[in-house]
Amino acid sequence: MSTRSRITALIAVSAAGALAACGAPGTAAKTTASANLTSSAATKSGTLTIVTKFADPKYAPYFEKVAADYESANSGVKVDLQQVGDQPYKDKIRVLSASKQLPDIYFSWAGDFANKFVRAGLAADLTSVVGPDTEWGKSFSPAALKAFEYDAKSYGVPINLDAKYMAYNTAIFSKVGVAKPASLEDLITACGKFKSAGYTPIAFGNQYGWPAIHYITQLNAMDVQQATRDADYNPATGAFTDAGYTAALDQFKQISEACFDSGSNGLSHETAQANFLSGKAAMHFLESVEFSVLTAKGGAPAEIADNWDFFRLPPTASAAGDKGALTGAPDGFMVNSGSKNAALAVDFLKFMTSKANGAEMTKSIGWLSSVQGTATAENSFPQLEAALKDISSANSFAIWLDTVTNADVANAYLSGVQGILDGSQSPADVMKSVQDAAAKAKKSVS
Amino acid sequence: MASRMTRIRGLIWLLPALVLLGVFVYYPIVENVRLSFYSWNAFSPKPVFVGFDNYATAANDPIFWRSLRNNIAYAVVSLVFQVGCSLCLAAVLEEFVHQRLRGILRVIYFIPAVISITVAGILFSFIYNPQFGLLNRLLGVVGLEQWQHSWLGERSTAIWSIIGMSQWQSIGYTAVLFVVAIQRIPRELYEAARVDGAGAVRQFFSVTIPMVREMTTLLIILTVSGAFLVFNEVMVMTAGGPSDSSQVLGTWLYRNAFLADDMGYASAIATVIFVLTFGFAILQIMIGRRRRVEM
Repeated sequence: MSTRSRITALIAVSAAGALAACGAPGTAAKTTASANLTSSAATKSGTLTIVTKFADPKYAPYFEKVAADYESANSGVKVDLQQVGDQPYKDKIRVLSASKQLPDIYFSWAGDFANKFVRAGLAADLTSVVGPDTEWGKSFSPAALKAFEYDAKSYGVPINLDAKYMAYNTAIFSKVGVAKPASLEDLITACGKFKSAGYTPIAFGNQYGWPAIHYITQLNAMDVQQATRDADYNPATGAFTDAGYTAALDQFKQISEACFDSGSNGLSHETAQANFLSGKAAMHFLESVEFSVLTAKGGAPAEIADNWDFFRLPPTASAAGDKGALTGAPDGFMVNSGSKNAALAVDFLKFMTSKANGAEMTKSIGWLSSVQGTATAENSFPQLEAALKDISSANSFAIWLDTVTNADVANAYLSGVQGILDGSQSPADVMKSVQDAAAKAKKSVS
Repeated sequence: MASRMTRIRGLIWLLPALVLLGVFVYYPIVENVRLSFYSWNAFSPKPVFVGFDNYATAANDPIFWRSLRNNIAYAVVSLVFQVGCSLCLAAVLEEFVHQRLRGILRVIYFIPAVISITVAGILFSFIYNPQFGLLNRLLGVVGLEQWQHSWLGERSTAIWSIIGMSQWQSIGYTAVLFVVAIQRIPRELYEAARVDGAGAVRQFFSVTIPMVREMTTLLIILTVSGAFLVFNEVMVMTAGGPSDSSQVLGTWLYRNAFLADDMGYASAIATVIFVLTFGFAILQIMIGRRRRVEM
């Protein structure tokens, strides 16, 4: 190991200490959202601090443009926009939380990640401005807005819509003579046909665990009743004893054996995607925010760009849960409850989620906006429009399992599904670990 | 009076360094130890004193022990390659390779050490790729298909694959340090050994090894402490997977601190790492001093 990496590692190890110093026990004080959230000409001045996780060069320019446009429209306002990567954001926001240095506006995933900020009193209650009965709230897709509710109050502003679909190569399906599967049983049968024809049935890379978690999220939703899931995904009441959870893992095991290449734990999601793009695989499970990579504009070869469609991961015939649920969740922004610029922050978020900016988001980065009526034939492509229609028809969002559950439970699932893939763990083993993690989470919350 | 003034002046000159050390090194260490006795996270309004609970959690946590075993494996392999093999490499370079070729080889060996760990990690992720990776293809070409693996995707091979990459990157660096140490050995000692009838191997064991003892001690400390602080390699290549099989203490600490929101437990792991590396360094320095060779 080089000296440089030793030093970096030393910094990482001492990070907990440094962070500890920032958030020394006893110094944390629970704050409440009591700020005035209604902006006026008088409040439209000062510096607004924002931290996002959109440092990716594909997405960052859109947010920079929104910030610049807001500054142009409000001459007294300066927007201090900091954008970091997905993983560094998780570290940064925790350090900022512990040191009581949260920005005015900060990014959040829906689910328990957002709820942690709410429980700690770090998120402003936005019900009065973006609640489902408000004018601003009515401009959003209801399911997206609901994803940031906690105890019937609104704490976040959704900015996009994201759902997980099985993209498929229509040319390969025609060539092999396979129809779009209507059930999980059909899918598994189809996988056998693709294998016989020399194709990888489903391009799948699970190097970091989360791609498998997205399968489990969908399968759990279809195999376990919503009320049971709601109770289990809540760290205070989670038990994970419903037989549907084991059934979901069993189904994932069947999919992995029939449809995936071996060694998927050693492949990244991007490598798997490249297999699909090169026409070696018939299907690929991906998010609607990734749809643009399958288009000619996104760099896909014409053989793929002109020959793909998508369907939802189908349920088994005997699925006991919500067959109409759809894996996905919006990303969103929350307002710091201690912010002195809360009204300005709300005004900025209103600007960001205007119909014009929502349409621009779809056009420039290929994301579906959470604002209704922003995806049109002019600023999107047919599959994206179809996805929007399908998302609107979904019974409910099944939020990503690794963000909706407590971190210990998520880790048990992440580790367990990798074990199922390499054959070292059975679904029953994984559920035992998940149940133990849920018990630990319950203890820590209580 | 003058000597007292000199002492005071000396202390004043030392003060900035002492303050920096105190604030950025010693205070975090002490604070980290203190916080390891609390249950807390970045969001917790009221940290709770839990005594030795976090250490008990570590003692009963199979992944903690697996991480520790992985660190030990990392240290042992690193000692063999980054100290043992690189010393042999340096001796061979200095004794048997022609002057012109020597410089070129030193550069070739050193190049991996200047490659960013992220770049090296990604490079080796391609080499280890189960579908198109160089390693599996090479094994296929020579008829060893049964040895092909998803190197980073299997529990039995993931950590060893990372350790292998780390040796590739660091062996040249430590070899160059040994070359410098060997060059400082007075040539008269080798000449005297030759006059006494010592061959190359005998000279290596009787002259080279004793005379590079201080460098060896230093590299052992750096290698072992580095093996217990390893983080980047694992994060870039597997993030501790699959199924936590390649976790090391650094990544397990990170996961608990920043993903599982259990800062108290993470602080306890950090304390364990500190005690292990500090204890080893003290031990090694004491042994090194006792055996120092005066020139």
